[in-house]
Amino acid sequence: MNITNHIFIAIFVFLAQFFLVDFLSIKMIRPDFLVIYIFYFSLLYGRTLGIIAAFSLGLLSDLSGVGSFFGLAPLALTINAYLVGFLKGKYERLLPYVFHSLWLIILLLHFFIITYVNHQLIFVTSFFDFIIRWLMTFGYTMMFFLVIQFFFPVKEASIA
Amino acid sequence: MRNLYLFFLKYIDHFIFIIFVFFSFSLLFQNDNSNIHIIRGKFSDKFSLISSPLAWIRSMTRLEKETENLRLKNIQLTLKMQSMLNENDKYKSLLELLQFKEDSNLELLAAKVVNSGSSANLSSITLDIGSNDGIRVGQAVLVPEGVIGKTIIVGKKSSVVQIMNDINYRLSVRVLPSGTAGILNYLKDDIFEVRELQKNSNISIGDKVVTSGFSQIYPINLPVGEVVEVINERGSFQKVAKIRILSNLGGLLHVFIVINIL
Repeated sequence: MNITNHIFIAIFVFLAQFFLVDFLSIKMIRPDFLVIYIFYFSLLYGRTLGIIAAFSLGLLSDLSGVGSFFGLAPLALTINAYLVGFLKGKYERLLPYVFHSLWLIILLLHFFIITYVNHQLIFVTSFFDFIIRWLMTFGYTMMFFLVIQFFFPVKEASIA
Repeated sequence: MRNLYLFFLKYIDHFIFIIFVFFSFSLLFQNDNSNIHIIRGKFSDKFSLISSPLAWIRSMTRLEKETENLRLKNIQLTLKMQSMLNENDKYKSLLELLQFKEDSNLELLAAKVVNSGSSANLSSITLDIGSNDGIRVGQAVLVPEGVIGKTIIVGKKSSVVQIMNDINYRLSVRVLPSGTAGILNYLKDDIFEVRELQKNSNISIGDKVVTSGFSQIYPINLPVGEVVEVINERGSFQKVAKIRILSNLGGLLHVFIVINIL
């Protein structure tokens, strides 16, 4: 797949995030399609390209929104891409459950960063509520992630 | 120098990561910077242009739901308004009762109707006051429009009133201005008949009917109703007048009991 195709896919994912996220919002919790795309992209093309794509998409995402924390999406996506990059081609070298646990932890970390920055007050005042919100955000995106898994499993992306 | 370049190439991903993370942090910590605001403002303009058709579609899809909510709200408000109007009517009615009590030369005791019975034909009501409040059997019961009945059973805290449309109810009345006396009894709906009126008395439709004062229960000249029909049978020694009573016996909420004449 050449770079032009990837740019188109990235634009498509960004537009999907931009236009659809409001319709899919449940109690202020929204799915994050960008992290799914960056996850697969980094797994396929490694850290360097993953980080560049993550930062660019994150920046575009923050510029399109009105969030208080400008720079949060590039930061979280860059960290995500960097860590996922380590898993490129590692499926056959690691035990499957270790491999799957690692990418789940990376995604959990991504949502932890996002949730922590956005809900610092809840973190301080009610840690339990914070955990619930964090896991809800993670879980909602994971629903979409698991659907994509059926068509394009993570292990295949890792060894591609 | 070449080694430095090779080192950089070897660890380029880590360097890029550090640079981008640093850059992201610097953006996060400069959220209040005016230049950042200007950049975000310009991008926001562009993106709002793209998102405006979507916002229109979204608003259209929400319009139906909002209309439904408004309808619901409208019904709720209408019911609330109706309830307030009813409260206003109740207030006016109570004010009228209060005025009647003040203007009357009778010692009256206000009572609330707590039960109207369950039979199809209303003939008695239960009041929330009894012998503890000074009520006795055989006291006149009134509303501002006129007489409605008398107490027949008195408990400690409640009493039963026989109202005028009981088939066994009788009331001594006088037709004004002629002054002819007669006995009133129930006929149908709000129509009553006054019997034993003198044959030669001059009674016309619209004449007022009041209590005669012959009874020990009812004080003199309490309003009862007005004549709507006069029957003068040829073979009879008496006249019969049909009268319509002034009070609404079906909608009694508060009544007065005559305790004494002042």
